[in-house]
Amino acid sequence: MTEIRNHRIRNPWVVVAAYNEAAVVGSVVSGIRRAGYTVIVVDDGSADRTGDVAVLAGAVVVRHPINLGQGAALQTGIDFALEQHADALVTFDADGQHSPAAIAALLAAIEQPGVDFALGSRFLTGATANLPASRRILLGAAIRFTRASTGLPVTDTHNGLRAMTARGARTISLRQNRMAHASEILHQIAQSRLRFVEVPVKIEYSAYSLGKGQRMTDALTILIDLFARRLYR
Amino acid sequence: MIAQLFLTALLALVLVYAWSAHRTVPIIGLFASVAALAGLYFVWVPEHATALAAFAGIGRGSDLVVYTWVVISLLIMLHLHLKLRLQLDMITRLTRAVAIDRARESRRDARPPRKRRAVMSARKTETPPIGLQAKK
Repeated sequence: MTEIRNHRIRNPWVVVAAYNEAAVVGSVVSGIRRAGYTVIVVDDGSADRTGDVAVLAGAVVVRHPINLGQGAALQTGIDFALEQHADALVTFDADGQHSPAAIAALLAAIEQPGVDFALGSRFLTGATANLPASRRILLGAAIRFTRASTGLPVTDTHNGLRAMTARGARTISLRQNRMAHASEILHQIAQSRLRFVEVPVKIEYSAYSLGKGQRMTDALTILIDLFARRLYR
Repeated sequence: MIAQLFLTALLALVLVYAWSAHRTVPIIGLFASVAALAGLYFVWVPEHATALAAFAGIGRGSDLVVYTWVVISLLIMLHLHLKLRLQLDMITRLTRAVAIDRARESRRDARPPRKRRAVMSARKTETPPIGLQAKK
C-alpha cells in the first residue's frame, strides 16, 4: 500500500537512528518503505548486522565507524537527507514502537502554511498502549522540566516521532550526542521561533522497546549533559 | 619565605592556566583566576588569611590556603571534564564527515554508469586507428 502525496512536500525522508537493532530494524524499514517513504538508517557503530539488514530492507544506510549515540546519529541522518535534497524529514525510532501510519499525519501537519515542526505526542489522545507507571512518572517530570526550561507548551517530550520541513531541519544542530538531544531539539525549536504543532501519535510499547528505553538513572545523565553543555562554547 | 615563593610560583602557573582556559570555558577561567589571586593574596598577607579563616570558622589561615587549593584543583578537574566533552564534539564531527562521505561514495558506485552520447561514439568510428593512418 503506497500513500501518494500531491502537496508541497515532494521528497520526505524518514531518518532512523539504529544501534544493535538487527532483530527489528528490517521490519521497521519494510513498514516505512511500504508506506511509500525513503528511509535513511544511521547505523551508529552497531556490533551486529543492523546496517546490512537495513540495506536489504530497502534503506539508504549511513554507518558511523564508532558508536556516538542517538542524537549524533539523528544529526548525521538529517545532514545526509538535506544533502540529498529532502524537503521534509521525519525522525522515527528503530525499536518498532512507532507506527508508519503516523508519518502521514506528521507530514500533513507540516503541510500547513507557516508550520515547520510537528511533534508527536503520546498523551494527546491517551491511545498509547502498555506505558508502565514508572515511565509515565518519569515522562511527567521531563515534560514539566521542558516546559519550564524552553517555554514551549508541549504535552510530550522525548518522543522520537517528529517531522520538520527542510527549513526547520536547517535550524537544528544537535550537539547532545546521547539522549539529551530530545530536550535540545525542543530548545532549538524555541530559539528558532519557527512554528510547531503537536500531533497525537500511538506508541506501542513492547518488552523489546521497554528494555531499550530510558531508565530513572538516564534522567540524571540527561540533566548533567544539558547543564554541562551550557558551560562551554 | 621558601614556602611563600614556592606557592607563588604554583599559583602563577594556575593563573596562566586560567588565562588559557578562559578562551574555551570562560566560567572556569574566571573562577580559577579569582581563586589563584585570592591564594596569592593570602600567601603574602597571611594575617588576613587567619582573620578570614577565624571569621569563616576554619581555624588557621594555612587551612584556608589549603582549602583554596582544593577548590582550584576541583575547578581544574571540571575544566578537564569539559575539555573531554569538547574533544568528543570534534570526534563526532569527524565521524559524521567520514560516514557521510562513505555513504555518498557507495551511492555513487551503486548508480549505473552513464551511457556515452551517440554523437561521440559516431565520431569515434569515423576516425581510423592510428596504425592505419601511418600506413597511408
